[in-house]
Order: sequence, then structure tokens, then C-alpha cells
Amino acid sequence: MRPELLEYNLDWLFAATFNIAKKTENATEKELARLLQFAPYDSGLLTPLLGLGKPAITFIDLFGEYYSNIVNAKRDGKKVVMTTFCFDPSIFYAVNNLVPVTLEIGTALTSMLWKRGSYDFMDFCTEVGFSETGCSSQRGAMGAYLAGAGAKIDLVALNMGGVCDTNANAYSFAAQYLNVPYYGLDYPSQLTTEEVRRYHYKDYRELIQFIETHTGCKFDIDRLRELLEEKKIQDALLDEIEEMQRLVPNPVPGLYHILIYASRYIYSGRKKYTKMLREMVEIIRKNAAEGRSGLNSGVEKCRAFLIYIDNYSLNVGMWDWFDQNGIAHMGNILSRTFSEKAPYTTGIPGTTYEINTRDFESMIDSLADINARMPMTRTIRGPYDAPNMWLEDTLSLAGIYNADCCIYNGTPGCRNTWSNVKLITRDLEKYGYPTHLVYADSFDGRVESWDTTVMRLDEFFRIRGLL
Amino acid sequence: MSIVAGCDVGSLTTKAVIINNRRIVAAAIIRSGPRPVQSANEVMEKVCSEAGILQKGIDFCIGTGYGRESIEFVDEAVSEISCHAKGAQWLVPSARTIVDIGGQDCKVIRIDKEGNVQKFVTNDKCASGTGRFLDVMANVMNITTSELGKLSTKSTSPIAFASVCTVWAQADIIKHINARCRPEDICAGINAAMANRVSMLANTMKIEDDICITGGGAKNDGVVNALGGILGRRIKRINRVDPQLAGAIGAALLASQRTRNGSNR
Amino acid sequence: MKTAFYDAATNIDLDSVRAWKEKGGKVVGYTCSFLPTEVFYAADILPIRLRGVGADSMEIGDAYYGPFACTFPKAVLQLAGSEKYRFLDGVVISNGCDSMRRLDECWRKMSEDISDTLPSFFHYFDVPHKPEGYAVIWYMDQVKKLMDSVEKHFGRSISDENLKTAIRKQNQVRKSLWELERLRAFDPAKISGTEAFASIVASTVMPRDTYAELLLQCIDTVNQKKDNPLGGRKRIFLGGSVCDAVELVALIEKAGAVVVGENVCFGPRNENDLVDEDANPIEALTRTYLSGSACPRMFGWYKARLHTITERIKALKVDGVILQNIRFCDMHGTENGLLERDLEKIGIPSIRIEREYGPLTETGRLKMRVNAFVEQLESKSNHHEAMP
Repeated sequence: MRPELLEYNLDWLFAATFNIAKKTENATEKELARLLQFAPYDSGLLTPLLGLGKPAITFIDLFGEYYSNIVNAKRDGKKVVMTTFCFDPSIFYAVNNLVPVTLEIGTALTSMLWKRGSYDFMDFCTEVGFSETGCSSQRGAMGAYLAGAGAKIDLVALNMGGVCDTNANAYSFAAQYLNVPYYGLDYPSQLTTEEVRRYHYKDYRELIQFIETHTGCKFDIDRLRELLEEKKIQDALLDEIEEMQRLVPNPVPGLYHILIYASRYIYSGRKKYTKMLREMVEIIRKNAAEGRSGLNSGVEKCRAFLIYIDNYSLNVGMWDWFDQNGIAHMGNILSRTFSEKAPYTTGIPGTTYEINTRDFESMIDSLADINARMPMTRTIRGPYDAPNMWLEDTLSLAGIYNADCCIYNGTPGCRNTWSNVKLITRDLEKYGYPTHLVYADSFDGRVESWDTTVMRLDEFFRIRGLL
Repeated sequence: MSIVAGCDVGSLTTKAVIINNRRIVAAAIIRSGPRPVQSANEVMEKVCSEAGILQKGIDFCIGTGYGRESIEFVDEAVSEISCHAKGAQWLVPSARTIVDIGGQDCKVIRIDKEGNVQKFVTNDKCASGTGRFLDVMANVMNITTSELGKLSTKSTSPIAFASVCTVWAQADIIKHINARCRPEDICAGINAAMANRVSMLANTMKIEDDICITGGGAKNDGVVNALGGILGRRIKRINRVDPQLAGAIGAALLASQRTRNGSNR
Repeated sequence: MKTAFYDAATNIDLDSVRAWKEKGGKVVGYTCSFLPTEVFYAADILPIRLRGVGADSMEIGDAYYGPFACTFPKAVLQLAGSEKYRFLDGVVISNGCDSMRRLDECWRKMSEDISDTLPSFFHYFDVPHKPEGYAVIWYMDQVKKLMDSVEKHFGRSISDENLKTAIRKQNQVRKSLWELERLRAFDPAKISGTEAFASIVASTVMPRDTYAELLLQCIDTVNQKKDNPLGGRKRIFLGGSVCDAVELVALIEKAGAVVVGENVCFGPRNENDLVDEDANPIEALTRTYLSGSACPRMFGWYKARLHTITERIKALKVDGVILQNIRFCDMHGTENGLLERDLEKIGIPSIRIEREYGPLTETGRLKMRVNAFVEQLESKSNHHEAMP
């Protein structure tokens, strides 16, 4: 790793970037242009973000706060827990001395903000023994924390066992390398049976014990209730956004999706996230009322559903390209919640979660249910063609959104999806969805250059007559 | 005193060295042909004639390199890791870490003061981080591999290559050539990408000073300088002989050890 | 004997399995060492470990799996698709890892394209990623479900008595296998790693009773041997991801070393690797199979595993450790990184090697590294001898 990278703390860099960016809220165009001259690479993310108006400012504020909390954790007497994106973090906020740091968010941010992404951090992981073929989504930011270029980690807690080996494996490696306690929730390959639910509940209670043991703090019931009540409001707002997304043209700007899921993965249950969602809903409602597309051009030529995740390897290049070509981004696996009232839920018992705040036990059960129904822990845990799994979810989502095509974009580190993505692609084609498989790495631009990715995307859209 | 030889059949070049009384009396480097046996015979003939001896006048000969098993005339085959370690340590006695950038692989070896291997790593992925990578890139640039090194030292703003994959990097270079980037900046970018890959390998183990670089890659100043920069350490160069000869020299030195230990043929 | 084991370790089509089938016996294949094979013997069904030996191309494997997946399940799929596993009456897939559990879908989908490649019994065995607590209950339940579906499908009944007999007999095999390990523990080793490892792999594919008898004979013969050509060789321990490659062990031994033990998903892990014969059989099986066999898929249990491996290495007086993993095996690839670090901390030289499953496609490079590693170990001892 280049020695100079150790000179700056990663969390501080993010905090500084967002805290400064937030101040541009009232900047004139000229002032903004002048500022971005000093941060040429940041502009790749910040310029399109700031173009989104109010919700983006709240997003920037939220991220600034999140990273400031991490930077100040030790000063504030808080412990730092390393966790994963598909874990609902509200539980961490229910004890008063814990701050979560989510690796995939950090990796995506470096990819979107820095010229060299987090390549050096990724390579650092390999240098200290982590498998080079492991998923890049963790390898990026993880390298910084392992190298001491980020917050000191006190414990590791996550939820991907049984769903994504390479994810759980990365965190267990980090815990081992940093010599800190580790706890991972485990998921059977099924979702809806009663015994599975019991397993989830017991497993989640162990997590509660783990957190209490290692933070020395008891859970604050009122605080937990407040977080979950807030989460109910958030889910309702998300449901409304999802519902409006069904309109043609889609009134939701594509970039909203990343704002929605990135914030959810770090700020679920917190008021700032609700604020951002409210601001979004307001704009989307207005777009919908006026029959306006969320695309900058206002002309929607095609609706693409991302069956897995997005590509963050060159700023927000993927969204830009979609926008320029009149392709509406219909969200991806990450932007969904499986709350009971979500518009795409099937009504099959056990497939969704319900938030019950009656007492501590029911709140813990609810959280266990939520965690077992996060996008990945729900959709890619079992056989892709089993009921309520990847294929059925994709078909029902692509169906209600009137998608014209499907795109798989992921990372070569994803053993799980790369072991059946050819099968799902084949099936989706059979169901009439032209489906494109991107071989690039969402977080590591070195795997396939963005130019090549775009060339292939362009080829797909043109040859399949989608544009 | 015995006359010993080392023969290193690599994927791109074949090297041989004859040592008499701890002095190199003949050395040669030729391009490897498709058949390792032929290349070995050819290079041996060359060094023998240079030394003015007959091949049967050699007391002990050790073969190394990927073609080592198929050479008929050697008394023993030893891996190139051991040979490079011995050779480099002899050439640079203070060396404790050896970075060898060969035609098709790259290795980093940590040794003790006797030249014994303590630990080594080799690339096991693909051509990136090997001499082949530089060759292919030079070819795209329409220059020689040694020009690649020279040009890059004149760069003021090296291009950052996203990919170290030999295939993607080629496409990237073409893109930069078409965008009329300065060739020296492209060359510097190539060398930096290469150095990055090699540094990753080096960092997987505890490297110790002094670091010495061998193999064809050692002739590329751009890579050597960039590598030193990334590792934050000075890299010692081999001036006495061609750094590509380190493996063959090491083989000959091991041969000389064998004759001293009485395993004469 | 050696030939029988070597043959069994390196082939799919075995005389002993054919004889079993000819007598009307049923055969079920399974994918992971977490499966309690006793369940099948209790139903008088022959369980065999699914492997990809002899897959000389990968066009079927690659048609269903993506490019970034392990070649082990791909090779199994390749064989299944080319009808090499036609003799199977059933298959049990388990979630040893992501690539392996997806063999379930890949196999089913493949059978839609290539007819008669899907056995009528096709079962998914869901193993938790935790070795204790409620995971034990979950596993026991999985065992019961497996037994139920075996009983239903094959029309057999699995009594406690049957299970206990199967456990007892399998324990006998385990004890003999440990006896074999003891022969390797001698210094110099009494049996080559190639021979021993072939016997270990054979234990997962040959009918148990035939195997048990041959193994005893093998141990006897070794015990009677007077000469020992294995003296003075560096003692190697092979670790890492699933490996049934006898050729790899042979390659290491050709470099002048002797492989004295493995921890590669085949073979006994330690002396206590026995199933309790007196306890409730399902509970006893669970204790051994789930709780007793730490694997990096049990996230968070690295320290326990390191301890087991280190103890074994010390007992075997190992000079060096070769940690291999099949490309894209992140769990073992990563664990190998940790193991290398921790073993070297206590002075045991280690090397990591990434490889593809199947015929040693990179033999040249693999051989160079193995040779160099053995040379490194040899120079180390020469060096120490030379020291005053």
C-alpha cells in the first residue's frame, strides 16, 4: 500500500468530504464550480448528487454525521462495531455506546469518490492473507481498517452466514486479524417455515447477548421502540416510493435508489433517514402528478431492472449512462424492503416481516424477522428457483414495474450468484425479459474497464432493440 | 579447482554461465526456442566455446528454469527459486530480499546471509506482474521493452491504468494512444501498474533490506524506480553482470558446492 | 491392495461399486464431509463421496456455473452431465459452501437439458454454520428428515439398531484409518503419503466392509515391512480446501519429501473422531459430524481449528506445511493466509498454493514451487547443521 494512504484516516476523509459538501447547499453555481476545482474526483459523485436537490443535501448531511460519529467514537466513549450492509443497524443504535461502521458503504464511496477507488486497500487485504478472489465489496474499506487507516474496531457483528460465504468469511477474517470478538447470524436455506423462524429468533437473541457482553450496556427498550416506530414510518414511505415507481414514466430519479439503500444500511430507524425519504416522496409525488419521468431528459425510452446490485466503479457512471440513454433505473435487489405492506409482497405467510413494538421480546422477534428478510438474506438464501427466492422475486418485481429488461451486475467475488446467474438469466429470457450479464466488478474497476462495460451495455440495449 | 556450469531455461530466454574458481569465465543469454532441450544445448555450446572448453570438461552442471527437467546434460535439477537466491546473494552480498521479474512469472524471495531461502512467493494468477506483461505492452506501443523503461523516466504525469490484466491494459493503452497521450506518460503508467502488482507480492511477506532485483524486469528502470517508491525502500541493482543471469549463476554456484561436497560425477 | 485403493481414489467406475449394484444394492452420492454416512449404511445403501476425478473438460460445468466458481462442483457436474454418475440412485447436496450448494440448482437445470442425469432421489441437506447450541437441534432435525426421505423413497426402515450397527462398523474403519495415520507419524514414516492418502480417499467411495478388510491388510503389510526408504525426507503436512488429488501428494513426494498428514476435508481429523456408540445415535452423529469437525465454513471458529491443526502438526513432527486451495475457495484461501501467518509464528515454514481442481493443469508451476519449498526446508536443516 502506498505509504501516503496511511497519513489520512478514511472515516475522517469521508466525514470531511460530506461535511464540506453539505455547506454547498446555498452555494451559487460559480462558487460550487470553484470548490470542485479543488476536488476534481469528488465532483464525479457530488455534481450529480447536488443536482437532486433537497433529499441529496439530507443524504450528504446524514453521511457527514455518520462518519463524524465514527471519527469521534473514542472521544465520545463509544465502541465501534464492524458490520455489513445487509444487516439492519437499528439494533446498534439501541444501546447508547455503539457506532456501526459498514464496510461495503465505505468501499462504494471510495469507488465513487477516488480516482484509484479503494484498490490499495483491496490489495492490502491480499497482502495480509485475505483471498484475492474474495468479494471486493468488503475488501476495499476492510483494508483501511485492517491497516489502521480507519477507526479502531472493537467488535464484529453481522448476518450473512448461510447466505453469502464470502461476506461472512471477510468479517470473520477481519475479527481474527484484529483480534476482536465476532458474532454472525446464520441462515438456513429456507425462509418461511416455523422451525426456521425459531432458529432466527434464538440466533438473534444470542446476538443481543453478544452485544450486551461486549459493550457492557443493556438495551434501552424505549430507545429500541422509538427506532422501530420510526422504521415503520420509513417503511411506509418506501412503500409509497415503490408504488409510484410503477407509473410510466417512472417518476423516481434513478440515483434515488442508491440514496435510499445506502442510507438505510447505516441509518435505519433514525430520523434523518425519514427526513430524506419524506423529501424524496414530495418530489416524486410532484413528478408523478405532472407525469414527469425521473430522468434528467424527461424522456423514458426503456425500463431496466437490476436483478442484483449496481455498479460503483466509476463515480456514478452507470446512472449517468442510464440517464443519458433514457433508461429508467427500476432499482435493484438492495432497494427493496420486505415489510408486510410492500407493494410486491406475495401475501404468502412468512415471506415478509411485521414490526411489533409491544414489548422487548416482540421487538427482538421483529428485528430477527427483519434481518432474515433483508434483500440478500431473503432473496438469495435458498435455491434461486425455490418459492419466494431470486427468480420469483425478480419476476414479480420486473412484472409490477413493467421492466423491459433485466441486468445482472455484481462482483466476481460473489460465489453465490455467480454459481446460478447463468440459470436465472436463461429463465428470465424464457419469461421474455432480455437479460444482460455484466462481467465487471461493481467496486473494482480493474476487473473490467468502465469503457468496456459501457460498450457491452450499449451493445445489449441496441441489439435487443431496447432503445 | 573445478569448472562448473549453470543452465537456466526460462520461458522467454535461456541462460548459461560457466564458473571457474569463483570467477565467471563465460555467460550467454539466448531467446528460448519452442523446445527447452534445444535451447539448452545451444546456449551451452555458446558458453563452452566462449570459455574455450569442451562440454565434457565441466565437472558439474545444474539445470534450472521451467525446462530444467528436460535438459539432458545436467547433473542435477534445482528450482529457480533456490538458484536465484544463491545467484543474487553472490552478486549483492547484502541482499536479503530478491525480486525476480522473469518472462512468465515473478517471485519474491527472502534469504539469509548464506543465500538460503527463508520464504518465497510467486505470482500464481496470470501474466500480470511478469515480464510478459511488459513485452505485450511494449509491443502495443510499438517500442522495445528496454525503451519502455527509458521513456518512462521522462514522464511528468504518468497515466493511471485501471487494470493490470494483460488483456484489458492493452485496450486501455490503445485508448490512450488514440487520445494522443504522451508515450512517456503511458510508459510510466505501464511500469507503475507492473510495480504495483509486484509490490503486492512482495508485501505478502516480510521483506528485509537490502532488496535486490533480478531477471529481465531488472533492466527496466521505470519498474525498478516505481517499485522502490511503492515499497518505500531503495532497491539495489546488479551492475557486475546482466541481472538476467542471476539464476544461471546461482545454479553454477550450487554446482560448485556439490563438487566441494564430493558429489562429483 | 495399493492398486485397489489407488484405483478407487482416482476413478469413478469401481469394480467394488459395480459388484454392489449387481447384487441389487442402491448407491447414493453426497458432496460434503458433514453428511452422516451411517444413515445410508443403516438403510443398506452405499454412500459414496461425489468427486470430479477424470473430468477432462468443463463444457457442461461451465454451461451452468459462472466463470467465478470453484472447479470442484463444476467437475462433479461435468461428470454427472456426461453420464459418469449414472449408476447413482440418489444424491444428497449440502451447503458446505456457496459453490457447492448451488450444485443443487445446476444439476437440476442440467438434467432438463441432458435427459436421465438426475437421480430420482435428490435431497438437500441443510447444515448450519454453527457447531453448537440451537444449531445442534437444527442438525438433528435435518438428520431425521434425511432418514425419513430415505425410508420413504427407498422403502427401507432405519431402526436405531441399524444405525448403531452402522456407527459401530464405521467406527472400526475410523480406528483403522487412525492406525494408518499412526504409521505415518513414525519418523521415518512407515508408509508414503501417496499410498496413505489414496487409502483415505478410497474410504469414501468403496463399500465399507470390503474397504475395512483391505485396509487392515494394508496396515499389516506395512507393519511387516523391514526396509524403510522414507528416512531423511522432509515431513510435509497438507492443508487447505477439499482435495482428493493423490497426484498432488505424489508430486510433493517426488520432490523428495514425505507427506505425513492432511487436513483437506478427507480423512480423520484426530484420534477422537469417533461416534459415541452408547448414546442416542442421532445425537451421537450430530456431535461428531456437526460439532466435531470444524471447517472454515463455521465462521468465527478459527482459533479452535488452528489449535487442532497445530497439535496435529506438532505430533507429526512436521517440517513444513503446504496449504492449498482450489481457486475461488475464499474460505480456505483466507484461512490459509491466517494459518500461514500463525504457523510461521511458531516456526513452522508454510507455503500457500492456489490451484484448479482436476488434472494438475499447472503441473510445471506447481512442481517448481513444491520443489523450491522442499529445497528451502532442506537448506534450512543444512544450515542448522552447519552452525557451530
